[in-house]
Amino acid sequence: MEVGLTERLDSFVRKHNDRQLAALPLAVFVISLIILAITFASSGSPVKLGMDFEGGTMISMASQESVTAMQQKYADYPITDVRQAGSRIIMQFGPMSDELQQKLTSDVIDSYDNVEINQIGPVYGASLQKQAVRAVIVSFIGMAIVVFLIFKTFVPSVAVVLSAFSDIIIAAAFMNIIGIELSLGTVAALLMLIGYSVDSDILLTTRVLKRRGTPQENISNAMHTGVTMTTTTLAALVAMYFVSTFSYLISPSFSQITLLSNISIVLIFGLVADLMNTWMLNTSILRWHVTNVGTRRRKA
Amino acid sequence: MRGDEKQQSLLKDIRVIVFILAILGSIIFIHPWYTSNDGFTTNLNYGLDLEGGSWLQLKLQGAVAQLDADSGLLVKEIVNINLAEDVTITSVNEGANDVTVTFTSPSLLTNNQIDQLGVGQSTITRSNNLTQVELHSSKETLISTYIEDKLKTEVVPTLVSDGVEYEIRTAITQEELQTMMEKVGGSIVTDINGNPVYKEGVTTETRDLTKKILSDKLNSLGLKDIPVKTVGDDYILIDFAGIDLATAKNIAEKPGKFEIRIITQGNESKHVLYGDEIQSVGIVGYHEDAGQWYVPFTLDDAGAQALQQIAIETGATKDPMSHNLVMYLDENQVYSAPLSSSAASKLEQAPIYSWQASTGTDEDGKTTAEELQIHLRAGALPVNVELMGSGHVDASLGQQFKKEAVIAGLIALLAVAFVVFRKYNKPAILVPMVSTSISEVIMILGFAAAIGWQLDLASIAGIIAAIGTGIDHLVIITDEVLYEGKLPPRKVYLSRITKAFGIIFAAAATTIIAMSPLVVMGFGSLKGFAITTIVGVLIGILIARPVYGKVIHEVLAAGAETEAE
Repeated sequence: MEVGLTERLDSFVRKHNDRQLAALPLAVFVISLIILAITFASSGSPVKLGMDFEGGTMISMASQESVTAMQQKYADYPITDVRQAGSRIIMQFGPMSDELQQKLTSDVIDSYDNVEINQIGPVYGASLQKQAVRAVIVSFIGMAIVVFLIFKTFVPSVAVVLSAFSDIIIAAAFMNIIGIELSLGTVAALLMLIGYSVDSDILLTTRVLKRRGTPQENISNAMHTGVTMTTTTLAALVAMYFVSTFSYLISPSFSQITLLSNISIVLIFGLVADLMNTWMLNTSILRWHVTNVGTRRRKA
Repeated sequence: MRGDEKQQSLLKDIRVIVFILAILGSIIFIHPWYTSNDGFTTNLNYGLDLEGGSWLQLKLQGAVAQLDADSGLLVKEIVNINLAEDVTITSVNEGANDVTVTFTSPSLLTNNQIDQLGVGQSTITRSNNLTQVELHSSKETLISTYIEDKLKTEVVPTLVSDGVEYEIRTAITQEELQTMMEKVGGSIVTDINGNPVYKEGVTTETRDLTKKILSDKLNSLGLKDIPVKTVGDDYILIDFAGIDLATAKNIAEKPGKFEIRIITQGNESKHVLYGDEIQSVGIVGYHEDAGQWYVPFTLDDAGAQALQQIAIETGATKDPMSHNLVMYLDENQVYSAPLSSSAASKLEQAPIYSWQASTGTDEDGKTTAEELQIHLRAGALPVNVELMGSGHVDASLGQQFKKEAVIAGLIALLAVAFVVFRKYNKPAILVPMVSTSISEVIMILGFAAAIGWQLDLASIAGIIAAIGTGIDHLVIITDEVLYEGKLPPRKVYLSRITKAFGIIFAAAATTIIAMSPLVVMGFGSLKGFAITTIVGVLIGILIARPVYGKVIHEVLAAGAETEAE
């Protein structure tokens, strides 16, 4: 299947001119920006913030009780959400006093098995949020500097940075669409995406700029390698996603691992976006650049 | 014959030797072992989310600022807060190091009452129904006492290069502090640029003291392996392996039982007071003239009365040497010394509020004083702490997570192997590629075992991420070497492999740069994720992938030969 994908992508790239090629990824990029802007306008943050950044308590435990029963049982606490995942109940609470917190903790630990509790104070959440935003910005700028140092030419470097940026924006917009909240895990995934997404861009740019042969040949060659790279990574992530998310369906002795599940789903969509951005957006800019510089040189 | 030669050259290659040593070293560090009693065991440490346990993150509340105020108004306020007396300030005499404030009041004021303020020595005269008090103190003491009484907290003044810094050991905003100082004709001192010298948080010393108290407390409960870590200047993180969250909170918040007794006869002693009657504990000091290290502490009214009464009853005031004052923390003796002769004779007349426990003249005396300072607090923390975050994972759930993480890793590897096989269709490429990937995982785990790193879920995600980039890089090497499906001549091969490593190093550099902010900022579980990813990438590009480049060349060359035959 992946061989078919490479071939189809390759002929698509050959058949369309640079402007046509860039149109689709740019359109998706713009739509993603609009989605982020709408979320920002309605909630004050481009992505929905999870408990790690808003503050609150998440408790999950093994229980066969119904959602409504749990809601009633913990009505004395600021309960905001109850969900069922296989043989487990996941409850979320808003911020509460220390005494109430202690009472809730003791109660749950004493009465249930396989308990997991996570509590973040609102103040700490706000400071984590600031740090997370800073981490994403710093690491993006760091990546951009490295890219510029590697290629030392403006247009190809911008193309790489732009397609990495688009990957993150599309992944973030996608999180909004399917309702994944920003947590420490998803921030890690976005950072990882910065590292992953430039791998294939660097491969493409190096092959096109530094190898002899026509740009189109080099692009096709790079694509064969690059698409394999991304599909192997995707295969690993899809495996991680299914095991961490759905293994409880196979055996009741397993539970969802939210952290791994979130990291993998965000990376999966980021990498799918990366396939498009590398082989359409970055490729079109690079092809345009090489042909233009090439013609100018020939004229001179 | 030729095959043997190749085998030789491969084993003589420095990169291959390093690789083999690294793998062997890693296996030794991981130390996988099987016994029928314990089952399968390794040297790997697991984080709380895999092992079960709980964690607490505490924020130390406080503020550090330079302050100034009017001495007269300070005294007036301090007397007002403590004795509910509105006194008239008649004169203020400020010297270089001390300050003398004289005030009058129509009510009767005793020496005892003024001593209780804890600001200094006083002379009291009374004439014409008017009490006149001459109080000798210092500005630092007055400012500290004022804030202490006002906020019911401790304030520690320290001399810094450009003045005196006050550490206020409870949460107070800059505005609140400014308003409070304006009430006594003062303000937060501004620096040369006109910015107020105010910082939220506590000093590094206080943070370390808090950390030590927590560690000592955990040790005294027999929980020696529980690490207390400081995160930045204001946060403390405690990981309670194998302890549930409710118990952990109790341990961190509940102080120990501190008691003072006086020896009556032989081993017999009489109870004087418990730790809750100690009002405050100062910082360790050194007496120049006596050459003694000491810890200052103050007693509340009930405590001071009790100490006077029992000292007189037991005869300690008459014969201090045979009636030592003994301090216990959780039933263990932590201090024993006689009353000083001056204290003994003073106790005959009145209770003493401010005490100093002397501990000796040398370095040992200093160490003892530092320990006593902690004991006097009975494990109560020097600053107010706020619970910033906490977590809990049942041990059985951690077991499940561990099993699932391993399964996820194995299935991920199988999925990758499947994709690689579909693409190249050659076991000759598949086997070295997958083995390289596995060897990288072994080396990452070996590194983790060697430095005692705790593997948690985030680190495992990091390892899976590293496998992902690792395979990417192996694909780049393979495709470069295998240009147009064949092995190129040696010269071309060398230039190709150099180019491949150029791409790999560039890609690795971006990944490392992208992850490094997380290592530096180090918040939450993401630090582990970033570190494992970076370590994985480094191990990959420096140790494993060069060997893969070498091996894949040999394998393909051997393959080409067989085809030619």
